[in-house]
Amino acid sequence: MRGYLGWFGVILLLAYWGNIPGSGVAAAQTSTEDQCVACHLDLEDPIVEMYARDVHAAHGISCADCHGGDPTAEDMDEAMSPARGFIEDLQGTRITQMCLQCHASVERLQAYGSTLNPEYVRPFPESVHGNADVATCITCHGVHDIRPHTDPASPVHRSRAVELCGRCHSDPNYMRRFNPALPTDQVEKYWTSRHGQQLRTGDTRVAVCWDCHDHHAIFPASDPRSTVHPVHVPFTCARCHSNPILMREYALPADQFDLYSVSAHGKALLEKHDTGAPACNDCHGNHGALPPGVLSISHVCGTCHSINAEYFNRSPHAEPFREKNLPQCEVCHGNHDVRPVTDEMLRPGQPSICEKCHHADDTGMRVAQRMYTALVELRTQMERARQMLTVAEQKGLEVSDALMQLKDVRSALIRARTVTHQMDPKALTDVVRPALEQARSLVRVGEQALAEYRFRRMGLAIATLLTTLLVILLYVKLRQMEATSRGTQQMGK
Amino acid sequence: MMWRRIYAWLDERYRIADLIAFMRHKYVPMHRASIWYYFGGVSLFLFIVQVISGALLLMYYRVGEDASFESVKFIMARVRFGWLIRSIHHWSANLMILAVFIHMFSVFFTRAYRKPRELTWVTGCILLVLTLTFGFSGYLLPWNQLAFFATKVGTELIGSVPYIGPTLLRIVRGSEDVTGATLARFFGLHVAILPGIMTLILALHLIFIQRQGISEPASWAHLPESQKRRMPFFPNFLLRDLILWLLVLNVLAILAVFFPAELGVKADPFAPAPPGIKPEWYFLFLYQTLKLLPARVIFMEGEFFGILVTTLGLIGWTLLPFWEPVIPRRYREPVMYALGGGLVLYIGVMTAWGYLS
Repeated sequence: MRGYLGWFGVILLLAYWGNIPGSGVAAAQTSTEDQCVACHLDLEDPIVEMYARDVHAAHGISCADCHGGDPTAEDMDEAMSPARGFIEDLQGTRITQMCLQCHASVERLQAYGSTLNPEYVRPFPESVHGNADVATCITCHGVHDIRPHTDPASPVHRSRAVELCGRCHSDPNYMRRFNPALPTDQVEKYWTSRHGQQLRTGDTRVAVCWDCHDHHAIFPASDPRSTVHPVHVPFTCARCHSNPILMREYALPADQFDLYSVSAHGKALLEKHDTGAPACNDCHGNHGALPPGVLSISHVCGTCHSINAEYFNRSPHAEPFREKNLPQCEVCHGNHDVRPVTDEMLRPGQPSICEKCHHADDTGMRVAQRMYTALVELRTQMERARQMLTVAEQKGLEVSDALMQLKDVRSALIRARTVTHQMDPKALTDVVRPALEQARSLVRVGEQALAEYRFRRMGLAIATLLTTLLVILLYVKLRQMEATSRGTQQMGK
Repeated sequence: MMWRRIYAWLDERYRIADLIAFMRHKYVPMHRASIWYYFGGVSLFLFIVQVISGALLLMYYRVGEDASFESVKFIMARVRFGWLIRSIHHWSANLMILAVFIHMFSVFFTRAYRKPRELTWVTGCILLVLTLTFGFSGYLLPWNQLAFFATKVGTELIGSVPYIGPTLLRIVRGSEDVTGATLARFFGLHVAILPGIMTLILALHLIFIQRQGISEPASWAHLPESQKRRMPFFPNFLLRDLILWLLVLNVLAILAVFFPAELGVKADPFAPAPPGIKPEWYFLFLYQTLKLLPARVIFMEGEFFGILVTTLGLIGWTLLPFWEPVIPRRYREPVMYALGGGLVLYIGVMTAWGYLS
């Protein structure tokens, strides 16, 4: 049945090409049969049947529009001679160039009545696939049987996206030729992700490869032009995950990006472009994207905050959190909206983090109170020393050694804040006490420096006074001498 | 009473009264440009301050890549009044260069270089070069980042001399690059070689002045003796000098307290050059000139052309008393005013441009 339909298409094709206005060659030969089709039909070339189904055929694009040559010439040699414009080696980069001649041109697309956006394909030659050794248009879209991407039979239909990309990206031997370091387990991981699980059920609204990596503008993740460059990842994910209508269908919130963008992580990545800060994929995974499980949260956070995670797992919190199935780090710090931490998080007597679980007079709150007091004292002394030393430095006093030591105190404060995850006041004191002593000694250095500055000014004032007095005395003496000398001279006269 | 006895004791042996009588009979002309006479004395005073403060710094300063910066830091932070001595040394150096420039141009504009004071002018010009060399060599001694790169850029100019440039550069630096060897050389130059030469030339300069007396303005040539006002060098002029020196000392103290000499960060040859690096203010006009020159001038490298012109200009300036008489008498004054005025304007504009750019 399919074969009959195909031949019916070929007949239509012949009739159509004979009359289509628009394409250059065909327009000039309106009354002539397309000799390419006629000849290849005689040869029973399956391409003719395939091309009848091709979306380009439906738009009146003839063989000669891509391959060149003279479709009106009955002689094969003449029709396929380079003199008549036949392209003998339509391969590699020339394929891409040929496709882009129309697909990157607004005028040509409009001439064929296409609504495709030319901007869509223009970045392809510069993309990671743009090198003809890697891929050309036909590598993904096929050839002579190209279907619209909405056609389920098309290799670029959403339902077949993973299969299409996996053809190359899951083949280690093939990928090794281009990038031996690139993993080849993306497809395998994808099927374990929520996106993959949904796609398996036939839900094609979920993200497939090109929803994150783009269709044609595909660049390595390290390239700032890439949609999966760390700085762009939150925006890429937000294209779907900030769509409340789409997310409602999956009973998911759509505010993650808004929360993330004001978080400590979001500000570092999106505002300061600190690519060390985590994007969505650093916690959820890339191809195997799933929300981390309750018990794995400390592992996820611990990939960066390893010491904090280690202290937490040693703390008295670890066991009850496991028992109560509480999401560890997230309980105090939140998830997408992780705010910059402050010592105030431990401060009792206000709506504090600890009061979520503890009462005002229980052991936990007392521990928090002790830790808060220790941290605030260290911070206060450090800040005092910093202010004094900065003023002294601005006044030109040599305090560079003290300022260097202040960095050690700052490191100790950061370490102390990390140790709070252990919830052990003694462990905290071991870190805070020496730092506090150092901070106090630096305060003394600052005080001495400022006292030295006051001493210098006082000394200068006294020296200036003495100099002024001496200058006045010398001047008076000089005037007296000169007056006496003038008097003597006048008497002499 | 005791002072008189000491004086009598010394006078009996060394005839101090004769020396005072000699000074009493030396006179300084008094006219509307007399103020410029004081800048020679100020330059001398600042040189003395430099010698004393430098000698004090030497007690703690240690030369070497691993010692210079640390020892200067020690002087600034730990040595009692070390900050004061270093800051005075720093500011006195700057003021001395300024005073020397003012002194030189005042001598130029009052035409005091003319016969018979040709050699006083020549020794003065040599003293100017020595003073600038003092400044350049001393700038490296704290071995901080700015000094390191300023010296690197400054000495690179020597390398642009055709044929012998690279060899000269190696001699000046003591190695291919600015290293501890350069530091040691500059230290030796700053504390031994230059002071020795400077003392010798300065002594000659002062002897010439003592022998020939202070120059009188050209306009006095036609004045009757009764209209020429003079003051005795001792004690009148010397006391005025002393008052000015005291004021300069006080200015030094104020600058030292409110703007102590900075130290910055230790030199790191592998660190990138700090942005906007510039030489000290007294080399800015030269730096700006070199910056404006194209890469090639005639058949020479732009930098070498700049150095060549500057060197020839300096030689010409030093030999001024010998070629000036060649200019016809009626053009002499306008030419000299144009030359001096143009030079002052050029140095002023280029320094300001270099500072602001």
